[in-house]
Parts: sequence; structure tokens; C-alpha cells
Amino acid sequence: MDKLIDKARLSDWITALADWEVFAPALEDGVWTFKAAGEAVSLGHTNVKQPPKDFAFPQREIYFSFEQVKGEPPRLTQKLPAEAKRVVFGVRPCDGRAVPRMDRVFNDPQFPDAYYQARRNGLAYVGLACNRPVAPTCFCKSVGGSPVSSEGMDVLLTDLGDRYFVQAVTKTGEALVAAADKLFVKASPADKKALEKTHADAEAQPQRAIADAAGAAKKLKANFDSPLWETLAQGCIGCGICTFLCPTCHCFDINDEVTGTAPMKGNRVRTWDNCQFPDFTMHTSGHNPRETLGSRLRQRVCHKFQYFHENYGMLQCTGCGRCVSECPVGIDIVNVVNKVTENVA
Amino acid sequence: MIKIQDIRDAARDMLAKGEVRAVIGWQRGSRGMAAEPVVINAPEQADGLVWDPTCYHNLSLYLVNDKKAQAHAKQKPTLPIAIIAKGCDARSCVVLMQENYFRRDDIYIIGVSCEGTGVIDERKLAVALGGVKPTSAAFDGDDYVVTLPDGSEKRLPAREVMADRCLECREPFPKENNIALGEDKTGRALEAPFAALARFEQQSEAERWNYWQRQFDRCIRCFACRSVCPMCFCDECVVDSIEMKVAPTTSAEEKASRVRWIERSNTLADNFGYHMTRAMHLAGRCIDCGECERVCPVNIPLRLLNNKMEREAREQFGYEPGASIGGPSLVSSFRDDDPGTWIR
Ligand code: SF4
Ligand code: SF4
Ligand code: SF4
Ligand code: SF4
Ligand code: SF4
Repeated sequence: MDKLIDKARLSDWITALADWEVFAPALEDGVWTFKAAGEAVSLGHTNVKQPPKDFAFPQREIYFSFEQVKGEPPRLTQKLPAEAKRVVFGVRPCDGRAVPRMDRVFNDPQFPDAYYQARRNGLAYVGLACNRPVAPTCFCKSVGGSPVSSEGMDVLLTDLGDRYFVQAVTKTGEALVAAADKLFVKASPADKKALEKTHADAEAQPQRAIADAAGAAKKLKANFDSPLWETLAQGCIGCGICTFLCPTCHCFDINDEVTGTAPMKGNRVRTWDNCQFPDFTMHTSGHNPRETLGSRLRQRVCHKFQYFHENYGMLQCTGCGRCVSECPVGIDIVNVVNKVTENVA
Repeated sequence: MIKIQDIRDAARDMLAKGEVRAVIGWQRGSRGMAAEPVVINAPEQADGLVWDPTCYHNLSLYLVNDKKAQAHAKQKPTLPIAIIAKGCDARSCVVLMQENYFRRDDIYIIGVSCEGTGVIDERKLAVALGGVKPTSAAFDGDDYVVTLPDGSEKRLPAREVMADRCLECREPFPKENNIALGEDKTGRALEAPFAALARFEQQSEAERWNYWQRQFDRCIRCFACRSVCPMCFCDECVVDSIEMKVAPTTSAEEKASRVRWIERSNTLADNFGYHMTRAMHLAGRCIDCGECERVCPVNIPLRLLNNKMEREAREQFGYEPGASIGGPSLVSSFRDDDPGTWIR
């Protein structure tokens, strides 16, 4: 079902999605963020600073509240989020490819996560192909993706000047288009030609190369004890930028947040955790198996390029380049993977 | 203007002569224009050192990290470690020595003068160049020259793209040094100290309150602002509890009730708690290297907070952080002419 929509009618489409809560990139204080879509939506963003990960996996999730009057049994109230129809516009292909990866983790047949599912059901993504990589740090092609990939999307838009080429990818995507049917026109063979050319041009744009992404898992494994890890992590400050901004990082921590003591009450809360933090693998004994910055860099890189690959048969990195461009001291995952895997048979 | 060869020669020399065990400096990065911190410990590595307006990082952080690593390995180095330091970096070394974090002999300061220019603000640069990312940047006497991806060069007036802290720089020459390179052009700051803060404070209290709510609401608590700050050297920060040791005898009660001043949740209240704590802990210690603000991925203007505390210290107590190794710190000083009568 290939269609076209005038850029000028984009806002009308969003208005027509009355049953949906719509989110789109907005620029505030110099930061692109997904915000509730207002009247005028234009997809003029590069990529948003934070990926759309929060929509299904928010940084803070309350599992349940607890309350206990002294001498009585505790009362627990589960706080499962309500399912809602939400759609996020302007998702870039790297972030789209993150969706099936997050789904793989949280919709695991053996350990499904009810909180993730409640948020994910009813959540749709309208993607926007990158006609040219939005930043010099993009490397989606080097990890098996593409600047025009529709993986993980419900609809893929491609910018053709004054119009978007609209490809519904899923049933939900078809419904999103059908909700405003009269705004779209059918794509002609000439339009399809234009689309193919745009996509081919996008694919041809140069990107930073990972020398052997397919073989990286094996080579990283072989180089687990390499002294390079510490050398490459020399400048690392151990902050949370690279993982908190990553579309596929999913480690979390669980804490009880006490809000009152008589009676004892509070919430059990899940928050994002971060393998770069000093207490990430801190044992209760005080021993920390990942005490050095090098061992933590290794954890992050090997999770993306080795462990995830061993567990699920796919790379966890989608090449969005955020960890590269946002690292305050220039630690560069492309460089790290290349350096650690070079000269390994 | 500083010649990079002079920096490299100095570093190579002291490594070759065995005067220092390592030199902390900057090298070319792999991802584009920006330099990145590096620690070198062999003379031949000195050729990789660079000096340009992307040497933003306050390298004294790595002195702190080195000290922590040494302490952890239960080592006592016999040789000092050298650091290449701009004016602001040298001031932070002074604060660290004033607080006895290390002794003067433990470090060797290779001072580099910003010569009245300073480092680039990448956000301003992105605006000035419409998002085009240069591949390199260089000083050009008074201004900057950047190389664009197509190989062409572009001259940019420093005033337009210089970091705010450099526009207001109090001391671009590293006064505390073992050797210093470049001219002392102190007094060439393009803006008065605290100019950005003064502009901000023209707003009403309600406006400022709303402003900070919007800013802190965005904080993702990545703690990059803390982790990059050389003054944030506490072994245990209020936000993480890495020192909580649990023995077989530790009760569940004790584990559960370990002190957590600030929850891990990025709620507005906890975000405020974190930032207010940090601002207070930096009063009279922050030397305005601006690193916390630079590294924030969501553009929270943290410099305004720290500047506010610095200005308080200056106006109320005539205190200037980073001015003297031997002088008392802000919180341990007392003067008879203290304007607060309650203290007497
Ligand atoms: S790699 Fe960069 S972003 Fe990640 S923890 Fe280290 S300094 Fe922070
Ligand atoms: S590892 Fe880095 S480049 Fe890869 S998906 Fe995560 S943030 Fe993006
Ligand atoms: S604040 Fe001053 S000393 Fe520091 S980088 Fe800027 S100009 Fe140089
Ligand atoms: S660097 Fe920015 S986002 Fe991260 S904790 Fe500090 S203020 Fe928050
Ligand atoms: S608070 Fe910020 S400006 Fe002040 S010393 Fe620390 S990093 Fe530098």
C-alpha cells in the first residue's frame, strides 16, 4: 500500500489520529526530544537526543506500592500501566531497528515483562528514512542496517522534497494511514522510481566502517583479556551518557523508595541502570568484578557485539552513533571494536 | 602563539629523563574534530600530543583518577605525574592541593596559556555552521580557523563560538606551573566575570523557578556532570552507595535502610536534590572550568548554578577559589571583618 502525502498535510494527518496520542520531535533548549505533538509538526529534526526507548521502557517504572501497618501483613498494589494507543512520529531507522531488539529482551517467551508489554501493546512507530546520514557519527550500514530500513516501524516515510512517500509496514501502520485516508494519494510508478532513487542514494552515502561486524563476536571473545580495553578506556569518566542514550541498552535496577514510615509505605521502582557506573556489578561483599573502566567498557562493547549476538543471533548496536557523538571524552565504539578485533584470526 | 612542537618537546624530555612517570595531555580523536584526553608514558608517544581549541577537557580530573588508582593498587609512586594545564585546569590543581588531595611535588604542571582566546563551544559552533561538522580546528592569533569536510577552511571570530566560561575567563594564564608556554594575556576576557549569570538574573524569581523546573525535569541523571568534575572526588557520592559493605552479620534491616539521600529515580524532586547538593558541595571549590555544563547531553546550564555560588563567595567573603595553595579554604576561613554579624 504505497501512498504519498503532502508535507503541508502532515499536521492534518496527526489531527486525524484522534484515537491516538501522538508524539513528534520538538526542539526545546537546543535539544531534540519527543514531545506530545502540537498543532504544527514538521519533521525537521536530525536525530533526537534520546531515542524513543522511554515509550516502552521508561527510565522510572513503579512496579507496585506497599504499605504496612505495624503488626499487620503488608498490602501490595500492582501499578501496571494502562494500555494506550500511542504513536511516535519521526523515528529514524537506527532507532526503529532497536525496537525488535528491545522486544526480544522484554517479550522473551520464557520471561515476558508485563510492564513493558502493557506499554508496548498499542504503541506504534512512524519512521522517517535518512536521505543522508544525519551525523558524521552514524554507522547503521556497518551493523547490518540501512538509512532507509523499515525494521521495527509501522509506517516508513521517505522525504521526496515537498511530499512524503508513505509505506505502511504493519497492520497497525495500515490503520494509521486509513484513519486519514483522504489526505493520501496513491503512488504512481514515477513516484516509486523517485523513491527507489532516493533510497539508493541514501544507501550510497559513505559511513564509518566496522571492519568485520559479522566476525566481531568471535574476535571479541578471543580478546577478552586484551590490555587494549584499559588503554582504550583511559579517558573514560565512567558517566552514564553512552548507555542512557543508547536505543538498545536495557539494564535496570530495582529499589524500594520509602515515602513514609508510620505506617511504612512506598513504592518498588525499576530505574535504568548503567554498566558504566561504579556500583553496577558491586557485590554486597564489597567486591566488584568490574572495577576498572576498561572492564566496564568491555562489558558495554561486548554486550552489543558479542553476548547479545550469542544469545539472540543479532547485534545489539544499531549504529545510531549517539554513544560516539555524545561521549564527552571521545570514546568511540567504532574505533574500539576495530582496534580490539584487528589482527585476530 | 604556542607551537605544538614546544609542548611535545617538553613532554618527551621529561619522560626521557625520567623526571615524570607519565604526561596527561590531549591527542587527536577518532570521531572528528575534538581532541581527547590521553595519558602517555613513553617519550615516543609525545608526538601524538595536540593543542588546539578543542582541548576542552580539564585534565586535572585524571590526576584525581590516577591518585585513586594508585591508592587502590596500594602503590606509592616515586615520580610525579605531569599534566598539561590551561588556566582553569591549573586553578583546579590548586584547589586540589589546597585540599591536600595531593602535594605540590606529586605533580608537574606544564602550563599552556589560552592567550586570550579559549576553547570552542561545540553547540555554538553547530549553530554558526548550520550543523556542518568541521574536521579540525586551530587557533589563529585572535580567532579560530576550522577545516570543513570538503577541505575548505573557514575563519570564525572567537567571540561567536567561544565557550561562555572562556568569554568570562578570570585567568587564562596558568599561574601555578612548573613551566608555562604561551603569552600571559590576562585581562583580555571578552566579557566581565559572571556576565551570563547577570543576564540570567534579570528575570523574575517566578521565571527563574519555571526555568529551572524545565531544565531539571530533563536531567537523565547520567551523572556526567559529577563524573567529569575534578572537585567531585568523594569516594562515595550521595547518589551511589558503593561503600556499603555487607558482612554475613549485616541484617536485612541494615541493608534495606542504608542511607540513600537521593533516590535513583529521575523525578523532578530527586533531580533537584542531586543538583542542589552538588552546587553546595562546590561552593568555593568550583573554578569554572565549565566541564559539567559542556558534557551535559541535554544542555542543562549548570554553569549558572556554580557561578552563583562562586559569586556569593566572592561578594560575601572576598574569596577566590584556586588562587592559593597555602591559603585557607572557603569553609575553613574566618575574618574579623566578616559582614555577617551573627558569627561573632
Ligand atoms: S565511554 Fe564516554 S559516555 Fe561512556 S561512560 Fe565513558 S566517558 Fe561516559
Ligand atoms: S551502542 Fe552506540 S551506536 Fe550502537 S546503538 Fe547504542 S548508542 Fe547507538
Ligand atoms: S576558562 Fe580561561 S583558562 Fe580555561 S579554557 Fe577558557 S580561556 Fe582557557
Ligand atoms: S550531565 Fe546533565 S543529564 Fe547528566 S546528570 Fe548532569 S545535568 Fe543531568
Ligand atoms: S563544578 Fe563544573 S565548572 Fe566547577 S570545577 Fe566542577 S566541572 Fe568545573
